[in-house]
Amino acid sequence: MIIIGERINGMFRDIAKAIREKDPTAVQEWARKQEAMGSGYLDINVGPAVSDRVSAMRWLCEVAQEASKLPLCLDSTDYDAIEAGLEVCKQPAMINSVPAVQEKMDRVFQMASKYNAEVIGLAMNEEGIPKDAESRVALAMELVANCDAHGIPISNLYIDPLVLPCNVGQDHGPEVMETLRQIKLLSDPPPKTVVGLSNISQGTKDRDLINRIFAVMAMANGLDAAIADGCDEELIAAVATARIILNMDIYCDSYVDVFKNQNL
Amino acid sequence: MGLSGLEIFKQLPKTNCKECGYPTCLAFAMALANGKASLDACPDVTEEAKEALSSASAPPIKMVKVGTGDRVIEMGDETEIFRHDKRFNHPTAVTVEVKDTDDLEARLAVINDLIFERVGQEYTVDMIALVNASGDAGKFKAAAETVKEKTEKNVVLVSEDAGAMEVALDVLADRKPLVYAANKDNFEKMTELAKSKECPLVVKGDDLNSLAELVDKIVALGYKELVLDPGSRETSKVLADLTQIRRLAVRKKFRTFGYQTIAFTSKDDPQEDLMQAGVYLSKYASIVVLKTDKKEHLLPLFSWRANLFTDPQKPAQVQPGLHPIGDADENSPVYCTTNFSLSFYLVEGEVSSTRIPSYILSVDTKGTSVLTAYADNRYTAESIAAAIKSTGLEDKVKNKNIVIPGLVAVLKGALEDESGWDVTVGPREASGITKFAKEKFA
Amino acid sequence: MAVEIMKEKYRSQVREVVLGATKDEGGTRSTTIKVGGESTLPFLHFEGAVPNRPVVAMEVWDVFPEEWPQNLKDAFGDVLNDPAAWAKKCVDEFGADLIALRFKGADPDVNDASAEDCIAVLKNVLEAVGVPLIVYGCGKLEKDNAIIGPIGEAAEGENLLLGVAEQENYKSVASAAMAYKHSVIAQSPIDINIAKQLNILISEMSTPLLDRIVIDPTIAALGYGIEYSYSIMERARFGALNGDRMLGMPMIGNVGHEVWSKKETFIPVDEEPGWGDQAERSLAWESVTAMALLQAGMNILVMRHPQAVKLIKQNIDELMQDNSY
Ligand code: SF4
Repeated sequence: MIIIGERINGMFRDIAKAIREKDPTAVQEWARKQEAMGSGYLDINVGPAVSDRVSAMRWLCEVAQEASKLPLCLDSTDYDAIEAGLEVCKQPAMINSVPAVQEKMDRVFQMASKYNAEVIGLAMNEEGIPKDAESRVALAMELVANCDAHGIPISNLYIDPLVLPCNVGQDHGPEVMETLRQIKLLSDPPPKTVVGLSNISQGTKDRDLINRIFAVMAMANGLDAAIADGCDEELIAAVATARIILNMDIYCDSYVDVFKNQNL
Repeated sequence: MGLSGLEIFKQLPKTNCKECGYPTCLAFAMALANGKASLDACPDVTEEAKEALSSASAPPIKMVKVGTGDRVIEMGDETEIFRHDKRFNHPTAVTVEVKDTDDLEARLAVINDLIFERVGQEYTVDMIALVNASGDAGKFKAAAETVKEKTEKNVVLVSEDAGAMEVALDVLADRKPLVYAANKDNFEKMTELAKSKECPLVVKGDDLNSLAELVDKIVALGYKELVLDPGSRETSKVLADLTQIRRLAVRKKFRTFGYQTIAFTSKDDPQEDLMQAGVYLSKYASIVVLKTDKKEHLLPLFSWRANLFTDPQKPAQVQPGLHPIGDADENSPVYCTTNFSLSFYLVEGEVSSTRIPSYILSVDTKGTSVLTAYADNRYTAESIAAAIKSTGLEDKVKNKNIVIPGLVAVLKGALEDESGWDVTVGPREASGITKFAKEKFA
Repeated sequence: MAVEIMKEKYRSQVREVVLGATKDEGGTRSTTIKVGGESTLPFLHFEGAVPNRPVVAMEVWDVFPEEWPQNLKDAFGDVLNDPAAWAKKCVDEFGADLIALRFKGADPDVNDASAEDCIAVLKNVLEAVGVPLIVYGCGKLEKDNAIIGPIGEAAEGENLLLGVAEQENYKSVASAAMAYKHSVIAQSPIDINIAKQLNILISEMSTPLLDRIVIDPTIAALGYGIEYSYSIMERARFGALNGDRMLGMPMIGNVGHEVWSKKETFIPVDEEPGWGDQAERSLAWESVTAMALLQAGMNILVMRHPQAVKLIKQNIDELMQDNSY
């Protein structure tokens, strides 16, 4: 599983302050830190800090890339802001995200093809998040078919089955696992899968434990990536271990360190 | 191999008419991919779509056979790129080239006589490739007659002249030879010949593109018993072409290349010939045609083939029993190990480097290593004692002392009771044998 | 019809390691050699770079190789008593890219040669040839640990490739490499997990050493378990290309050493009539072993018979030809 480090988000106070004051220090510190701990992408989210999301996104992308060589995951519902970010990305980025809504898919997949970007597609539409796996997979299929129609390799598509907090939507848990499995049958090569890991534990007490267990269970069902806290040591150790058990990395006694140091 | 939802969806009418009982064609495609529905439920699927879907679920590389009866050789039907993922199914057919201008009787006698034995396995040349080097149809036919009479080996008939092929094929048709080759000029005639005699046919291109074009034309003529020759002859190019054909067939399910391959060496020097053949055998050729017919060249090639095509999931075994190292005699030390090939070879290597003539007793553990076999109750005091008896070791050595691996030191007492022999606990790793032997036996 | 050529996109590439050092670089070699650096599987030029060709090192011993079969000894004429002349012949006549100097004589059971004796031989060989050197001890741990430091020191700056670091015994070799600017052979017993772990252990002593490690996965000879080595090498290389940096080192194989002790190289034809001529068969055994390993990604082949060396070099020449579409 690839970790998309979630820390550069205007929701956090230090990042919001950085954006407002145009002081890159905090952004770059987090960029470096997440890279050093083995994240594969940096999520970039302007958050509610400023109203000019377009220039804030551009600025965040620029300063993050000065500090880290990781690819970026541009996280916004404002597609102009995403496009502004894509323009300054030095390597193919990831667009986060698009639901299975036709006009949105048209815009996003067009951008993706223009900038050679990867896309996170959400298994939801105008009607919201379906509960059962079958309907989630049907939405995933729409995303796959649209991606294919734009000539984008399906392996550049990450499907997010959408996770609900386990204290509210407990019955979604097994459906998400089933969705992850079935997505791999959609095409050959199949799309990748991603989740926003911390969603599962919103409002619960032992959030880290729930995140960690959910991550390894989802990995066993085929999860490829998660937007998560890239500095959570125990999460990283759990992910590294699951990768060994799933034969994704070659074992050696120091495998946790190897996983962490992969960007060094 | 299952089809993906997208592949199925692409073949559906996309009208979302709900006749199948699913709300959309997409949903129906997913149900099919999951094995929960049958294609018949959609009334509007076209015949082409049915054909495309059924052929897409066929194995990625078609199996093709050469020869008949006991001598039939099966090739193709491979599913892997790397042997460590899953075994390669059908060992490359090693084929020796002869010409219709050669002294055929003499050459066939030599080839018939090529029987190799190594580590309990017997190998022979799989096929001969009879080349119409004379360019003369009559000579080719006569040569085919000699082949028919003088050897029982399977045959590849090599001539791009359809007239010559016709007469030679008449002679050998009931041996089901491989017909080489249909090219862009002769393919109609060659296909007709192969089809009428029900013999497999090689399709020869000038490169991958022309090969693909030609395969499609021949398939359109209704023949699918095919073998591919991309036409390249330079080592590096052949490697690339064979790799592409395998990858496209297995990874992309590109039906046009879903057949086995044949590769020809291009060297006159037999050692160079062997190296080239080795490369092609390593990287995916189902048939390798080479020129040398010397035992000293073919033995290494057969050995490499035997190694490469072993099942990586199954441990390789050596013959269980008693193996003398050097001029072992009644005073020689006896080491006991398993018949897992790697353990055995390690011990054998170390024991021979002690330069003390010795015996190695390899106990039949079904090819498992010392610790695994111990855990499995295959390497026990009883099984070792039984091996001592069955190999007649009692009569071969006087000292009645046997060295067991340090890892199973616990067996010492039980084995002494069971066999009546003295048991010495050896080093834990084979690498310790030299030092151990020097102290004990030198 | 245009076939859509299938090119894999790998995340990473094999590390490039430089062997030897010229005068400017602090050594005395007339040439240096680069190995590794490829960003694709063996010889698939159509999808990635193979910037450096695999190279062949020929073995030279500090003592007369009594145990070699006669036809192998004959191939060298009268130089086998003189390591310097032997090395020179390998380079000048047989085209060796490197010399692998093996201090067999240091073995307490052979001559128990001292570090000083070894250094004298090393100096002679360094003088006689301009190519980079690989240095092996006698294979007995204690002795090798005792001589490797002084040998490394005596050749400071030459960037020798020092053999061999093993999981239970890597510090003396790695220290010598670190202190005196050499490279290291990291040897694991046909075990990919240990191969990886050993690289980590060495890099914990010194991170820069990561780019001076060559993996010896321990190869088996043709017919003696070579398929295990083949698959381990393929897995390691595939892992390396997919981003496993701790397995991304070039690889070395002790081909001659493994092959020439096997029956197939010395049993005469009258004892095994089915096996054919011993001289031709023995060198074919070595060249076919090397050929197979090349196909699994071997970067440095350590070999013995000049004719087998010639064959494999020709094979490498051919395989290095571009096969792009
Ligand atoms: S019956 Fe056929 S066309 Fe109609 S919805 Fe089902 S799959 Fe689509």
